[in-house]
Amino acid sequence: MNKFSLIGKNMRRVDTTSKATGEAIFSADLILPRMLVGKVLRSPYPHARIRNIDTSRAEKLPGVKAIVTAKDTCGDKWGVFRYTQDQQFLPTDKVRYVGEEVAAVAAIDEDTALEALELIDVEYEMLPAVFSIEESLAPNAPLIHDAYPNNINIHVKIDVGDVEKGFQESFYVREDTFSAPEDSYFQGEPYAVVAHFDHSGNLEIWMPNAGPHLKAKPLSNVLKIPLNKVRVRKIRIGGAFGGRSEISPADTICALLARKSQRPVKIVYTREENSVCTRQAHSMKVKIKTGVDKEGRVISRDITCHMDGGAYSSTGPIAVSVPFLCMEQAYRMDNVRYNGYRIFTNKPIRGMFRTHGRAFACGVDLQLDMIGEHLGINPLEMRLRNARQKGDYTPTKSYVASCGMTETIQKTGEMSKWNEKWGKLPPYHGIGIGCNSVQTGFPMGIRGGSQAFIKFNEEGGITVISGVVDNGQGNDHMLIQIAAEELGLSPNDVQLINADTEVTPSDPGSYSMCETFIGGNAVRLAAQDARKKLFKYAAAALKVDCSVLDAKDRKIFVKDNPNQNISMSKVVRMALSRGEAISGEGSYWPKVDPRREWVENPSGQLSETFSFGTVIVEVEVDPETGQVKVIEAWASQDVGYALMPVVIEGQFEGGLAMGGQGGMLTEFHIWNDGRVLNPTQLEYKVPLAIDMPKINNIIVETIDPSGPYGAKEAGMSIAMSAAQAYCGAICNAIGVYMNDFPLTPDKILKAIEEKKGR
Amino acid sequence: MEKTKRIVKLTVNKEIHEIAINVNRTLLEVLRENLSLTGTKESCGQGACGSCTVLLDGLPVRSCLLLAIEAEGRDITTIEGLSKGEQLHPVQDAFIEHHAIQCGFCSPGMILTATAFLDRNPKPTEDEIRHALSGNICRCTGYAKIIKAVKALADSRR
Repeated sequence: MNKFSLIGKNMRRVDTTSKATGEAIFSADLILPRMLVGKVLRSPYPHARIRNIDTSRAEKLPGVKAIVTAKDTCGDKWGVFRYTQDQQFLPTDKVRYVGEEVAAVAAIDEDTALEALELIDVEYEMLPAVFSIEESLAPNAPLIHDAYPNNINIHVKIDVGDVEKGFQESFYVREDTFSAPEDSYFQGEPYAVVAHFDHSGNLEIWMPNAGPHLKAKPLSNVLKIPLNKVRVRKIRIGGAFGGRSEISPADTICALLARKSQRPVKIVYTREENSVCTRQAHSMKVKIKTGVDKEGRVISRDITCHMDGGAYSSTGPIAVSVPFLCMEQAYRMDNVRYNGYRIFTNKPIRGMFRTHGRAFACGVDLQLDMIGEHLGINPLEMRLRNARQKGDYTPTKSYVASCGMTETIQKTGEMSKWNEKWGKLPPYHGIGIGCNSVQTGFPMGIRGGSQAFIKFNEEGGITVISGVVDNGQGNDHMLIQIAAEELGLSPNDVQLINADTEVTPSDPGSYSMCETFIGGNAVRLAAQDARKKLFKYAAAALKVDCSVLDAKDRKIFVKDNPNQNISMSKVVRMALSRGEAISGEGSYWPKVDPRREWVENPSGQLSETFSFGTVIVEVEVDPETGQVKVIEAWASQDVGYALMPVVIEGQFEGGLAMGGQGGMLTEFHIWNDGRVLNPTQLEYKVPLAIDMPKINNIIVETIDPSGPYGAKEAGMSIAMSAAQAYCGAICNAIGVYMNDFPLTPDKILKAIEEKKGR
Repeated sequence: MEKTKRIVKLTVNKEIHEIAINVNRTLLEVLRENLSLTGTKESCGQGACGSCTVLLDGLPVRSCLLLAIEAEGRDITTIEGLSKGEQLHPVQDAFIEHHAIQCGFCSPGMILTATAFLDRNPKPTEDEIRHALSGNICRCTGYAKIIKAVKALADSRR
């Protein structure tokens, strides 16, 4: 029986009415007095030295108010890590991909700004370019960054146990290689920035972000202004999916234009710019060697992964590590070796993505299917035998405090009637399963924790102040729900001020799935702090001990005798009359190993807790066309505790659409010499309503010991395991294991033909 | 440029606006920039995604593909014109109630498409709803709750 008033219950989200009426303001919707339009001049070449930039003709065009080039910057190179500082937001020496920022204009309108871009003369000296991992690693390949020999950006090396001995002791060993090209986020909202400098040198800036504080500090660094003068403001955000975690060159360029013109400037990216000039997901090639015992339990695994990182480091060390870490969390193994390489190419920059490394994840899972087939063990049983368990340590030494992996496998298996279907479906029908696990935060040093404040007004209403940002997943409501629950209020009694770097305390951001676990915990602690103060006054008024009190419906009452109560507003007024304002403060720093580092020391507690998910899908393949019809899907995740089940279902469904339906069937970029040929939704096929199967959601709750009310995270494990399930089901339907993703009709037809020819 | 400006008379959400615009301006640009009706969103700018959908005489059109001058004399409804004061349109209400909205960027276009569809087909099957909404791309929801919202509203009217 749910003992809470609001937690665990479905209700209307606080943010969706404004989104349904057009009232919600996104960055491109902002209109400020005297605002100018900013446009960016981009490199037409994949690799070229910049000999000269002449802006004199553009400057003379009436209506042009500011032009910026590298000369207007401090020239510093920026990077997420000290050892990855390689990107100037307006480069001084050379450009490294088609679409890289070279100069920018602020003008009175868009037509003038675009005309001015044409009047900027850039003298380039073309350099040889490389467009694939192989070309980049070839001897005598052109060097993209002088500081990175052989174009190797990052090498993550993990070696646990004795891998070779493990293979010797294995009953069966096999090695396979899997690959996939780049895919993209296609957030609904194209990137947009509005920046304004006042005459005191304060920067006010709005942009889609997955952590306002993650934007503010780099902006302060590259603009050389104090952090307290950078005010990243709250704005509605049209999706992130990992693609809006870092500072964007557009942020800096917009700020530079605003400073130079002393007027507000708005830059709105076209869809093409959003696809090419923000971030993409890595293409990759991964070699997986796995040894198992007779029962199919993994004894040893050796993985070598090459990821095409594009022109700059971005979140490289994290991106190289996360696919491996998700796998080591999901499945047990004692001996494992990982060599992950991120390679520079003259292509757009790659970052984090909701489905980290489909080639990696699908490869590991598909290989389990192959091994199972060899041993006569069905894929579901293979997952059960290798599933991570509560109380385990992962190979890189993270303790697993709660884990419902087995339960998710069993429940999806039962609901999908796996045992009745596996091996018994008609020709070209298939069923597949995928399992995965994700983190709820990473070691992020001083940015790793979240702090929250709550203040009461004299009517008993509150304002919550938190750094947590909402990208659309419902974080705003989550914070309000938690605060209201703890203080016996309704969501209507709560105002939220969040994601504003001037007003709100630091927070790690919504990337790494940590907002509920870390930000939610901070708000809960702040509410408990305020409650303690309220109860002190209420106890005195009711002449009872604090410990017998509870709060509900804006009243504080004696648990055993609810008629003995006092209204919240009366308590707040009592406190005020005695010179105390009721407020609360809470902060939560997750228990992670601060010494853990992605490259130098990939060992120790990575995240305080992990989510675990399983997806099963059933498909039908048309052998004449290679088209895949997904009949039904079953998605299950251990979310810890479901704070709002309907919101979690929404995350499952969205994750399945992006990771499975899009990620495994249709989504990939097409290239010609470093140029993206399908940058818009016309050619890049994201799933439509007509494509989606019926999705059955199964929420598993393990009540994490540290999560707020036991909650962990709300659906990322589904996006990843969906890709794997789709992949397994299609291979099962056609009776061929395919190793190059996504599984498009041409590849499927070819596989069917080849099988017939055998 | 100035030479091509023309005075156009647009009826938007039952209000008449007389504005001087370049004839090459799209309806989307004029709605957002001249009339500050920013509820209409641009996501692709080439008619692929449906985010900029408005109703023209009750039928959904992509405002990024339509010149503003072509909308003269027509009845234009944007998302701002769907609710009546504090009273939400039933489709808006159903989207909120059934959690059909996550980031909300596609919601105005999706809601207007669904509204026009239900006006024409008040008792649709799930398959018909899926077809009708397949010109509007949503990247967050996987469409499940959107379909559910439209179906629930249609069923409630039976």
